[in-house]
Amino acid sequence: MSTQPPKYAVRFLSFFLKQELQEEVLGDLEEAFYFNIQKKSKNRAKLLYWYQVFNYLRPFAIRNFSTPNMYPVMFSHNLKISYRTLLKNKTFSLINIGGLALGMTVAIFIALWIYDEYSYNTNHEHYDRIVQVMRKDISPDGIRVNSSLTGGVGVELEETYGHYFEHIAMTFFRPETELLVVKEEPYREMGYFFQKDIPHILSLEMKQGTREALENPANILVSDRFAQKVFGKENPIGKTVSINGTTDLIVQGVFEDLPENSTFGDANFFASMALIYNENNPYTWNNYNMKAFAKLKEEVSISDASLAIKELMKPYRDVEDDPRELFLLPMKDWHLNSTFEDGVQVTSKKVQFIRLYGLIGVFILFIACINFMNLNTSQFQSRGKEVGVRKAIGSARGEVINQFMTEAFLYTFGALIISLSLVYLFLPTFNTVAAKEIMFQWANPLFWLVSLGFSLTVGLIAGSYPAIFLSSFNPIQALKGRLRQGKKSERFRQGLVVLQFAISIVMIIGTITIHQQIQHAKNRPIGYEKEGLITMTGSRTLYQSLDVLRSELKNTGVVQEMALANYPLTTTLGNNDGFKLPGASSELTTSFNTIFVSPEYGKTTQWELTTGRDFSRELGDESANIIISESAVEAMGLENPIGQEIEAKYEFNGHNRFTIIGVVRDMIKGSPFDEPKPLMLFPAEFPMRYLFIRVNPNIPLGNAIPEIREIFSKVAPEHPFEYAFADNQYLTKFKAEEQTGVLATIFSGLAILISCLGLFGLSAFMVTQRVKEIGIRKVLGASVTNLWALLSKDFGLLVLLACIISIPIASYAMNTWLQDFEYRIQIYWWIYGIGIISCFLVTMLTVSYHSIKASLANPVNSLKTE
Amino acid sequence: MKETKLGDFEETLLLIVGILGEEAYAFKIAEEFENQLERSVSIGAVHSTLNRLGEKGFLTSEMGEPTAERGGRRKRIYEITGAGERALKNSRDIKLSLWSQFPAFSDLKFNIGS
Repeated sequence: MSTQPPKYAVRFLSFFLKQELQEEVLGDLEEAFYFNIQKKSKNRAKLLYWYQVFNYLRPFAIRNFSTPNMYPVMFSHNLKISYRTLLKNKTFSLINIGGLALGMTVAIFIALWIYDEYSYNTNHEHYDRIVQVMRKDISPDGIRVNSSLTGGVGVELEETYGHYFEHIAMTFFRPETELLVVKEEPYREMGYFFQKDIPHILSLEMKQGTREALENPANILVSDRFAQKVFGKENPIGKTVSINGTTDLIVQGVFEDLPENSTFGDANFFASMALIYNENNPYTWNNYNMKAFAKLKEEVSISDASLAIKELMKPYRDVEDDPRELFLLPMKDWHLNSTFEDGVQVTSKKVQFIRLYGLIGVFILFIACINFMNLNTSQFQSRGKEVGVRKAIGSARGEVINQFMTEAFLYTFGALIISLSLVYLFLPTFNTVAAKEIMFQWANPLFWLVSLGFSLTVGLIAGSYPAIFLSSFNPIQALKGRLRQGKKSERFRQGLVVLQFAISIVMIIGTITIHQQIQHAKNRPIGYEKEGLITMTGSRTLYQSLDVLRSELKNTGVVQEMALANYPLTTTLGNNDGFKLPGASSELTTSFNTIFVSPEYGKTTQWELTTGRDFSRELGDESANIIISESAVEAMGLENPIGQEIEAKYEFNGHNRFTIIGVVRDMIKGSPFDEPKPLMLFPAEFPMRYLFIRVNPNIPLGNAIPEIREIFSKVAPEHPFEYAFADNQYLTKFKAEEQTGVLATIFSGLAILISCLGLFGLSAFMVTQRVKEIGIRKVLGASVTNLWALLSKDFGLLVLLACIISIPIASYAMNTWLQDFEYRIQIYWWIYGIGIISCFLVTMLTVSYHSIKASLANPVNSLKTE
Repeated sequence: MKETKLGDFEETLLLIVGILGEEAYAFKIAEEFENQLERSVSIGAVHSTLNRLGEKGFLTSEMGEPTAERGGRRKRIYEITGAGERALKNSRDIKLSLWSQFPAFSDLKFNIGS
């Protein structure tokens, strides 16, 4: 019969019960327990014991946990000791605080970035009522979501469903920068041609003029920054702005700039859509060239309105066509949640990035916290005596814990101050890298709340383990200097080091992979020569003199060839389906990138013709001939493409039937990370918007540009000479990935730096601890190499273990990342190799500093101490 | 001067302390309470009230002898003070007076020795 009261209940009771009550209460309860056990079951008795224990949680019985009168004194004492400790080990404190500050800086940057992403568009007054009208195409292959609409949708929304909406405005599907001419100076600016209600929907803050100004199509609203740039101190109201140098508009309003993190943040002007469309009600049902935005009435819910307009398009479409449904996308989803897969909202890439960076931030902070814990616990030898003395003169364990927690909080707040200054200092750089305009949230109470809460948490996490560990020393052992850290705490510390390095190695491998992937895409053959190719946007004044321009340019010898197309070289805009091989039962499912090009396009872009021939002006009417790309050949499943005929549902060049005369290598016009888009080129001799000029490769571009400019000013003096280089345009396609690359480099660099800082401190302590051992070994004849190996071995093993852990994680993570790219690298073993070896080398260097220093020291010095 | 009013629960406990005499310690008092009143009560609640009665000066207490069934721990034995007895009597007198003034019960005989 060894039945006893439940152990934890007894422990809990002794924990909270006043000292003077312990004996009688424990006695009473035990007696009650044995009394109960004779009458009831064992479990019942135990349960009753617990019940009795909880019933002692009464004010009269609970011990006084605080020592209020001593508190301020102890607090100032703790502060003083913390300060002295900080000064005593300067290097140590620097590593400690510096590492934490770095970790916090990264975390704050990432937090600011995430905050910026989530506050996208929140500047608009009626944020929760603004919606975009979206379209769902339902076909047997699945549901596709698109934002392009026909003009008829907008008209119908207003006329039939007007009771749901306060305002509706349509704009063109594909906004482009426009040429604004003010006082004969050209400015290329981003802006939107909208129906008149857009200022009300976006609740534009008018600095001058009114939101109603757009009701007159002859008016234009400009942004404050544009007005400042163009008109300076003059009053912009009433001034003339000419669009493309052809349409004169009057400035009747200046709106406050929209912030960078909003959908229309790039708008420098709003003008009336009627200008381009020639009528305010573009009532069509076959051309999907519009987007529609609306503000709901206050009492209308988004889901109700969304459901109501679902079938809006049905009466205007053929019955046998696949159905198209409409729905409303609330503004809060525009930026982060507008990715759809089969008609359902899925996690977008942006959200994935936010999660990824969030995770990295947490990891880096975690590494910094590990350092803090490791460095502090490793001080147990020197702090052990202090703890011994404190306990010997009557400190309770809680007070010792207080001391160490005070230190931890002091350090973290120091680190917070340093990191806030670092953030302030590097915010402009960060904005450049991340392509953002993030502001330091000085005035945001949430920011301070989070920062303080954050450092409190870090202090608590990082300080609690050392505090508990160090305060647990037995004072006699500590004072005798016989402190031995248990196997358990050493294991724990080693585990932390391994974890820290595993994270760092994963990040290094990730960084290398990202850079490899970018390089891989950059080295990809793109099917045309992008160096020495100038691109330009045409204008009406230019169209009249194209032939003269071409011959004049060629005559200088600077230009080899000039060509036109209806779309830029570096986009895959202009897509069509509805193609069919003659005799085939069904249409090809592929959508082709269909563009019109002048016959010199091939010579100008220097595409690579594999079979067949190029277009030619000499061979008469070519309007029924086409050239296609290799992937288009594949999509059509042709063996001998030359001479093959193809039928089209829609008319191109006035024909529905074409003959393939040539095949070119795939041209990478879209994302260099995607599979090439099947391309179909139609010859055209009419003027088109995009102009390409091939500069003679023997002439440096710097010399060529002035000559070309001279010809332009001679032939088309009114056309603003604005140009871009095709290779630069192509490079912008890597922007997002390169941004990821730069950030990954910075983050992984910091991770390894912080880890090494920790290791540096740790190895210093290990060496001081073994200084006598080293001395004796040296006296007995150990060589410096021997000692170095002895001291570095442990850390080497830890890092090796970290490598083994990190490889599968890195390989999983990077394979997942690469899945997003159609054109991608394999992860080669050497990437892991480099990651591991570099990490290993850096570690060894860090550790070796102290171990070599200790090995070289004169043993006399270390042995004679005491 | 502390409050010297006597609550119902307090009065009952005070009486039980008197009944138990030498055996009046928290566990026994709780047990006796349960037996007499057929109502369950936790030792903590009893202890808390005994403590309050002590503060009011109705009870004194001292530590008794250690017993084996309590793991060798001593128990705190409570004893009614003069003030405690006065308070009890006072309370009984007031109630009796009230009972006798209640017409419906006025002819009832109370089987209480005075």
